[in-house]
Amino acid sequence: MTVQVSERAKLGLAEAFRRAARDALVRDSNDTCTVEPLKAEPSETLQEGVTLFVITISSFAFRLLALFQVDADSAAREYYQRARIEPLDEAFAEVTNLCCGALNRELSSHFEHLAMSTPFRLSAKCLAYLEDLRPHYLARYLVTINASVRVQCALCVCCSASVDFAIAEQSTPVQGGELEMF
Amino acid sequence: MSVSRLQSIADRTRRSTAGNGQTAVGPDPEAIRQTQKLMEEAASLKSVATAFERWHEDMITLTKQNRVMHDMGEDLATIVRQLIMLSLNAAVEAARAGQSARGFVVVAAEVRSLALRAQTLSGELGKNLRKNDLVTTATFQDIQAGGKMMMAALSGLEGLVKKLNECVSSDRTG
Repeated sequence: MTVQVSERAKLGLAEAFRRAARDALVRDSNDTCTVEPLKAEPSETLQEGVTLFVITISSFAFRLLALFQVDADSAAREYYQRARIEPLDEAFAEVTNLCCGALNRELSSHFEHLAMSTPFRLSAKCLAYLEDLRPHYLARYLVTINASVRVQCALCVCCSASVDFAIAEQSTPVQGGELEMF
Repeated sequence: MSVSRLQSIADRTRRSTAGNGQTAVGPDPEAIRQTQKLMEEAASLKSVATAFERWHEDMITLTKQNRVMHDMGEDLATIVRQLIMLSLNAAVEAARAGQSARGFVVVAAEVRSLALRAQTLSGELGKNLRKNDLVTTATFQDIQAGGKMMMAALSGLEGLVKKLNECVSSDRTG
């Protein structure tokens, strides 16, 4: 039998990520947040030294690598390093951890056994080799906060059994910030 | 402990507590013995955490080793870049020297050719190291998260077995 991620599971994953991004990548509920799929191959645009944080969510049936990359510009520093006490990397590692925690919680209602790793820093050049992990599903997103802070995220799912689940649409309206999914 | 064995214990427990509709049936010693053994096995399975810690440490060592190889790769790339410049300078100087340095022109060209091949190899080494970083990190994190997942599952199993033991050990009335 062919191992695969069903179409509704792909949609569910996109929705779960959208909710997690809204919950954790945005620091204030009044901030705007857009999440849009990215088509471009990362290897064409990335530069050496750009920081990437990786976190894995594992289950018996699959592992999901979430890879977050933030543009280390003044807008991102201003947004994530509010107190300017800690380096951007540390502040961003905490944010990615929170985002994956939220994603983990969303998925926990569909999978009995799930656990999450700690964040690990890599060169963003590593994104060019995601296909070497032989993923069954790979999706890339661009999260834009307040039209200025840009966070790129790749979700890479490798399965040992077929993955199928559906996430119900959120019944409560989003409070505060604008949220769009393209 | 297999599911059928658990089922067998549960059946024995039911028989011992329900009896044949009569009252005050005591605990089944065999069921108690089996559930206690089950508790011991569930507890001992948690020692798998030691293996996860060992793998975790090994992966940290591997990650550090990758870092060392990156540093060496960067040093190599620097040397190769300098070698290319040097071979270019040698070719220019040999050309200036004219007829008397014809042999040196050939040598300089060969050195440059080797340096360019070394540059290609150095680039490929860098790519493979980054690929290695990603695969190592993915494995490392899967082990880390998988370890947490299994420990949580074992704790849940241990709790269930304890409850089963309490049920078996206590006197019931039918």
